[in-house]
Amino acid sequence: MNKIIHPIEPEELMAYLDGELMADSATATAEHLGECRECQRLVTELRSVSQNLKGWTVEPSEAVMPTAIAHALAAHHPGPRNPSWRRGRGWRELLGQRWATVAWVGAVAAAVLLTVNMPLLRNRGAQSWGLTKNHLAPEKAAELTRRITVNPPPQLAAPLNGRNFTQLQQFAELQPAPPVSSAGPQSDRSSLDQNLVANGPMIIRTAQVSLITKEFDKARASLEAILRRHHGYVGELNAGGNTGSRRTLSATLRVPADQLDATLIEIKALGRVESEAQTGQDVTSQYVDLQARLGNARNTEERLTDLLRNRTGKLSDVLAVEQELDRVRGEIEQMEAERKNMSTQVSYATVNATITEDYKAELQVVPPSTFNRLSNAAVEGYRGMVDGVVGLALFLLSIGPSMLLWGAVLFFPARLLWRRARRRFAS
Amino acid sequence: MTAISDEALIQEFQGGSQPAFEELFARYRGPLYGFFRRRLNNEQRAEDLMQETFLAVIRGSARYQPRSLVRTYLYGIAMNLLAAERRKQFRDSPPGQDTSEPETHDDSDAVIWLRQALAKLDEPEREILMLREYEQLSYAEIAELLRLPINTVRSRLFRSRMALKGYLAPDRGAGEQTPARVADVAREMKLTRAEGEAI
Repeated sequence: MNKIIHPIEPEELMAYLDGELMADSATATAEHLGECRECQRLVTELRSVSQNLKGWTVEPSEAVMPTAIAHALAAHHPGPRNPSWRRGRGWRELLGQRWATVAWVGAVAAAVLLTVNMPLLRNRGAQSWGLTKNHLAPEKAAELTRRITVNPPPQLAAPLNGRNFTQLQQFAELQPAPPVSSAGPQSDRSSLDQNLVANGPMIIRTAQVSLITKEFDKARASLEAILRRHHGYVGELNAGGNTGSRRTLSATLRVPADQLDATLIEIKALGRVESEAQTGQDVTSQYVDLQARLGNARNTEERLTDLLRNRTGKLSDVLAVEQELDRVRGEIEQMEAERKNMSTQVSYATVNATITEDYKAELQVVPPSTFNRLSNAAVEGYRGMVDGVVGLALFLLSIGPSMLLWGAVLFFPARLLWRRARRRFAS
Repeated sequence: MTAISDEALIQEFQGGSQPAFEELFARYRGPLYGFFRRRLNNEQRAEDLMQETFLAVIRGSARYQPRSLVRTYLYGIAMNLLAAERRKQFRDSPPGQDTSEPETHDDSDAVIWLRQALAKLDEPEREILMLREYEQLSYAEIAELLRLPINTVRSRLFRSRMALKGYLAPDRGAGEQTPARVADVAREMKLTRAEGEAI
């Protein structure tokens, strides 16, 4: 079967009929049209369609200029010629022509803002809860204040590194927590504080001791036993050291102040003492002053609470009293924390102990075998490959949602610009 | 004597010349009225919207910029007014009532047949076809007006013409197979062209 070869597409034929082809394309089309019957038939069909469409005429409109237009024309005052886009183009027209795009961009922007601001809104919600606390009943507010001023338990477990120090972690977990004096009733706290002052000057005692021992593991175990005997606890503990090097343990220990001397004697017996230091800071006057200020603040709080409960007045006055009450309660909380911290420091002395292993370096005479080196290299290579793949996956997962979001935001504007550019190029 | 271009006229009108506007009005009164009349079923509304188009030109004469043709500018305003009118009709009309079928005063059987065939086309393709055939806009002007690539305008125009030919053919009543046949014609001719290039 013979097929006719068409160098001209049907749409080009149509464009030729509409006078939309360039001169050279039009010439080629005309030449092809002269010899191709199929294309001639298509041209005839297209012309027939246009001819049919021309049959639909409409009645002529009125020839005279309508009154409304004549009036508008008479009232028209010419503005500045060729105004800038900003002055000339109203938002109503802009929005009217591109309402869909504007609505879409607005919706996306709102979604982005909501996503970004959600954590802030949550924080604000939490803050507003804190503000409304001031409008609670006095009993409820006092209960909340008590909850806030209770300190969290001390951190017993210290960060560990190295291979042989799991026992230290277990040891730290086993230590009893110090008695929390502030958790009890207020009267108990006051009597304890008065006892502290009545028993003599309030001294915050700190000791520092540095030891070197040949039996590092034994010294560490003895340290645990000493602490247990004197009812102390570990404030902080760091231990480290690799194979073939000296090991070191540094710990901040808290022991009852009256047990400090006995504890120090036992710790110093664990090895050879390299250095030792003790300091004492007298905080009696500060403590007494703090307690006096605290008492005054509590009296002020009571008076303000009575005022709120019993007196009536203007709303502005009530609000002013509430603000003042809020400020006084803030001061009380701050001073309570300061007082409690000072009491703990006085009751428990601090011992900064450093134990270092008396290490003798040994010459390594056996070099690593070639097989081990190859095996290590292979393991390192495999680990590097896995790390690389996991890193790439993590990177893609971390930036993927952002890329999707920005892709969605920029897709339509980019497509709009692309279409415009293509249209301009084509025209 | 060379006629003054539309662009020169509107620039004169921007400068305050009323005769320039009257000349523009005389040139586009009929085409704009025909534009609305063929798309709406209400003669009076067509007249009103034609007037509103010119009122918009008067009110926004300062906004016109010479980078686009006056013809495109005018039909752009007309398209916006038409879209607003259709939305209004859609809101106001009872459900199920079709208000989009235009009727002219002395429709012959052939014109009724033609309108029914046009109504079968997809809305975007029908609009392109009517802008080309009745408003005599070029492909580039249609592309600018409808914010479409010029090649899209050309291909849609071809499809709509071929589909309309199928709907108007006396031996093809419903024309269900017409769009398929349009695609077949285009595909067959493109195929043979590709084969020719390969040879």
